[in-house]
Amino acid sequence: MDFGQIMLSLAQGFATTCLLFILTLIMSLPLGLIIAFCSMSKIKPIRWLSRTIVWIVRGSPLMLQIIIVFYVPGLVFNYPMESRMFAVTVAFVINYACYFSEIYRGGIESIPKGQYEAGKVLGMTSTQIFFKVVLLQVIKRIMPPVSNEVITLVKDTSLARIISVGELIKSSQDMMKATASILPLFYSGIFYLAFNGILTLLFNYIEKKLNYYQG
Amino acid sequence: MKKKIVVAVLAVLIIVASVLTLTACNNNKKDFEYVTKKGTLVIGITNFAPMNYKDDNGKWIGFDTEFAEAVCAELGLKAVFQEIDWDTKEVELKSKTIDCIWNGFTVNDERKENVDFTKSYMMNEQAVVVKASNASKYTSLESLKSAKIAAEGGSAGVDAIKGDEYLKQAKLISVSAQTDCLLELISGTSDAAVMDYVMAMSYVGKGDYADLVIVESIDLAYEEYAIGFRKGSNLDEKVNEVMVKLYKDGTLLEIAQKYDIEVQLLDLSK
Repeated sequence: MDFGQIMLSLAQGFATTCLLFILTLIMSLPLGLIIAFCSMSKIKPIRWLSRTIVWIVRGSPLMLQIIIVFYVPGLVFNYPMESRMFAVTVAFVINYACYFSEIYRGGIESIPKGQYEAGKVLGMTSTQIFFKVVLLQVIKRIMPPVSNEVITLVKDTSLARIISVGELIKSSQDMMKATASILPLFYSGIFYLAFNGILTLLFNYIEKKLNYYQG
Repeated sequence: MKKKIVVAVLAVLIIVASVLTLTACNNNKKDFEYVTKKGTLVIGITNFAPMNYKDDNGKWIGFDTEFAEAVCAELGLKAVFQEIDWDTKEVELKSKTIDCIWNGFTVNDERKENVDFTKSYMMNEQAVVVKASNASKYTSLESLKSAKIAAEGGSAGVDAIKGDEYLKQAKLISVSAQTDCLLELISGTSDAAVMDYVMAMSYVGKGDYADLVIVESIDLAYEEYAIGFRKGSNLDEKVNEVMVKLYKDGTLLEIAQKYDIEVQLLDLSK
C-alpha cells in the first residue's frame, strides 16, 4: 500500500467528515435560533419543554445520542434506519442546535432592555427591533463562543465512527490495519489541524469585519 | 408550580417508555418477503482476510463476499456489505440495520438464543498468535496465564479465552475487530492474540505481519462457521437450500480454492 493509496482513502473519509460538518452547521444554526426563542418564550409549557430538551441533550453524551437515534427506530418501532449517515446527521443537528440555542439566548439576553424601550418609543415593531437593532449586536457578541463550538464540531464528527460511518478516523484506522503502521493516524491529525486552521482564520476575519460596530 | 411540571414531565417519560416496550415485539416470520421487497440483503461484516476484505481498488472481495454474492444472485437480491462493530452485531441485526451476519460467524449455543443459524459451511479453530521473538516463551496455554491477550470483543476468541482455565487468568484486551489484535501484537501492547485460525493463516508471517507466528502446539476449541439471521426468520431456510445447491454444483469449492481454504470447507451435500 503506497502513500497515494493511503491519502486517497483518507481523502474519502475526509469528504464524509466535511459533509457531516456542513450538514450539521447548515441545519443546527437556524434550528438553534428557534430553540432559543422557545426557551425565552412567555408561554410556560413551551419554555419548559424547550429547556427540558436542552437539558437532556446537553446533559447526555453525544455518542449515546447517536446510538439511540440509529438503533431505536428499528428495535422499537420496527422501522429500520435506511442510512447511517442520516442517523448521525440527525443526532448531530439536534445536539449542536441545543448548544447553539444557549449561546443565542445568552447573546440576546445580554442586550440591555433600554434598547427595546427606545425602539418602541421610536414606533418600531418588535420584529423590526429584533432584526434591525438587536440581531447584529448579538451576532458580534456570540461569534467567539460559536467559533468554539464549530471547531469542536470538526473533531466531534469522529464520533460517527461508533455506528460505522466511514469518516476520517475510521479510514485512518482501516489504513493503520492495512499497513500495520501508525502513520495514517498522524496524517488524519494533519487533516483536522489544517481544517481547523482554515476555520480559525475565517473566524478571525469575520470578527475583524464586525469590529466596526461597537455593540 | 415547578414541582407540578417536573411530575408531569416524569409521567410523560414513563408513559413513552412503557409504550416503547409494548411495541418492541417484532414479527420476523416474513423476513424473506421483507428483503425481497427492498431487493437488497444487507450483510453485516468486519474487514478481515480471507472472508471479507478489500482489494486495491477498494472493492469487497474474500470467500464470504463471493459466497454471499452467489447466494444473493440465486435469490434475486443485491448483496450490500456493511461494516459493523462486531460487539454490536446482534443489535444491528435486531434493529434491521443489517439483515444477516455473514463474516466467519462461529456457531455457539449462547448466540443461538439471539440468532437463527443456517447450516455450518466451514470449520475453524481458535489460534494463538504471538511475536516470533516470543515464540519460545509461549508454547502452552499455561505459559500464557499471566500474559496480556488480545481478542475481538464479542468473538468466539473471547469465549475460548473465558472457557480455558489458564487463559481466563490472563489479562484480556478486548478490541473492536480481529485485525486490531494483530496491531496490538506488533505494537507490543499485547503479548498474544486469540483469533480465527482461518484468518490467522492469511495474515500471519506475511508482509507487514511477517514477524508474527501461530503457536501450533496449542489447540483451542474446534468450531464451525454459519450465517446468522434474525431469530424466527424464514430467510435461513431459503439460504440453506441455495447453499446446498452451490455446494453440489461446485461453485463453493471453486471460491474456496481461490482463497486457499478448501480444506476448511464442510460437506454440505448430506
